[in-house]
Amino acid sequence: MRLLALETATDLVGAAVVDEGGTVVERSHPGGRAHGELLAPAVAEVCALSGCTLADVTALAVDVGPGLFTGLRVGVATAKALGQALGLGVVTVTSLDVLAAAAGEVGGPERAATVVSVVDARRGEVFCAAYRFGGRAGPAADPAAGRDDRPEAVAPAELAAWVEELGAAGPVLVVGDGAVRHLDLLVARPGADLGLAAELTAPPPAVLARLAARRLAAGARPVPAADVVPDYRRHADARIHWEERTPRRSGSGAPP
Amino acid sequence: MPAVTSATAGRGPGTRVLGIETSCDETAAAVVDGGTVIVSSIVSSQVDLHARYGGVVPELASRAHVELLTPVLADALAGAGSGPDGAGIDAVAVTHGPGLVGALLVGVAEAKALAMVWDVPLVGVNHLEAHLFASLLEQPDLGWPLCVLLVSGGHTLLLEVTGPGRYRLLGGTIDDAAGEAFDKVARFLGLGYPGGPEIDRVAREGDPAAFAFPRSYPGDGHDFSFSGLKTSVVNRVRKEPGAPTADVAASFQEAVVDVLVTRARRAAREIGARALCLAGGVAANSLLRDRVEEACAEDGIGAFLPSRALCTDNAAMVAAAGYWHLEAGDTSPLTLGADPNLRLAPTA
Ligand SMILES: [Zn+2]
Repeated sequence: MRLLALETATDLVGAAVVDEGGTVVERSHPGGRAHGELLAPAVAEVCALSGCTLADVTALAVDVGPGLFTGLRVGVATAKALGQALGLGVVTVTSLDVLAAAAGEVGGPERAATVVSVVDARRGEVFCAAYRFGGRAGPAADPAAGRDDRPEAVAPAELAAWVEELGAAGPVLVVGDGAVRHLDLLVARPGADLGLAAELTAPPPAVLARLAARRLAAGARPVPAADVVPDYRRHADARIHWEERTPRRSGSGAPP
Repeated sequence: MPAVTSATAGRGPGTRVLGIETSCDETAAAVVDGGTVIVSSIVSSQVDLHARYGGVVPELASRAHVELLTPVLADALAGAGSGPDGAGIDAVAVTHGPGLVGALLVGVAEAKALAMVWDVPLVGVNHLEAHLFASLLEQPDLGWPLCVLLVSGGHTLLLEVTGPGRYRLLGGTIDDAAGEAFDKVARFLGLGYPGGPEIDRVAREGDPAAFAFPRSYPGDGHDFSFSGLKTSVVNRVRKEPGAPTADVAASFQEAVVDVLVTRARRAAREIGARALCLAGGVAANSLLRDRVEEACAEDGIGAFLPSRALCTDNAAMVAAAGYWHLEAGDTSPLTLGADPNLRLAPTA
């Protein structure tokens, strides 16, 4: 098994390869919006560093978001084309799960009862999910087992209220660029014993690779390349505006 | 003056380039052999998706490209007797601008992934330059120099082309593109989207002399301007709400075509063109095609009107342009980005 993982959901762009023995090679670029320029060279680099070519890759994984739409499309389009050309399916993982898994790897479950992944959705909103690790702490655990996901972008105030609620069960650890951006709102809530894993602002490609490999080992079925799509969690702009302007338009007016 | 290259020279037959096009609202892939022979060409149009909005919605276009790229690529490869392993494909060419940046990035990402797996060169192609190559696909022995009128929803350009990939910009629109004027007037008249084919259709029943809309010829060069014409149509219809739509459409179309043909004809004469060539989506307009043919017959030069399928966006033209870049050793690095404002670099 040799798995190639692609990460483009937030400002961080990168790729990682994990091999049979669990050795991971990662290349990532912080910051910027140059996903389109940076991803393919990162893929070439991690393959070279792990001493393989793309033909040696036996599994693919991609972060499908939620996150930056343009970044997600670069990662997903790359994963789909790689999958199609290599005859491989793709393990799809959400950015929120990767962040939670990263928190798990740095001892999050010992520091907190709940980990909350928060990705900046721009336009004053966040994407978020809460994870209770319970007895499944440690690098081997899949955070999805204790996940409470928000299917759409939410206002930071709503997140703050939720975090305070979760604080009733013990300390809360927040991770992700959305948590950093709205930290002032979160710490203003007195009800939660709050920690921030400041080093985890973006989903790390190496964690994505390890989590996808664990899921494969646990029997997860890769998605056929043709069916992989970003997890946008927000309607396209035009549709939102259309619904606002003509809420009761009948006949052919309703968007698909 | 650079030496004139025959369009059939170079690596020639047997060199196959996969082209990918996602700059606007068509998801397309094609395989072209030797820069001139279309082996397969698949175009998946999103027109129905955008029609209700009266224009291309960038975020919807980008999302649709992601969903369409796998089946479109599979069909183009299968049609060329190849497959996912890219057997027989020597390079991957992709439009990297100008266009919608989010849409362009989908195609560029796909092209890079394929070039990496197949271990073949990647070639970034300028979309406008690709339109110029559409003519070579149907008529490889056009002869140079050519005067090309490139008219689409986003562009209105006059170019001198002295060989494959060698061109000089003569003029362009200073405001709206011709296709944009068609879309805006069609929307105003309550016709469908895209506006070009709708106005073309409705105008057939109308009187092109019913309204004397203004013809604008900005400057002494080869530039165009269509925003005044559009405003004039709007004002006229507001003043005279009962004006038959067919007459308005026919008179508007007459004015646009008049300006396009007059300027293109003069440019062709000035550069001593062997032929006048149409390119871009508006080149599918029937009145424009008729008038260009008439004008060229009068002037004793060739008229080249690509088939309608090659006028509108497609990937065969991208593969053709890519072939000539490959010939010139002009390939792209894996860091190739999308440039929404990419300009035509004059090379003539
Ligand atoms: Zn075009």
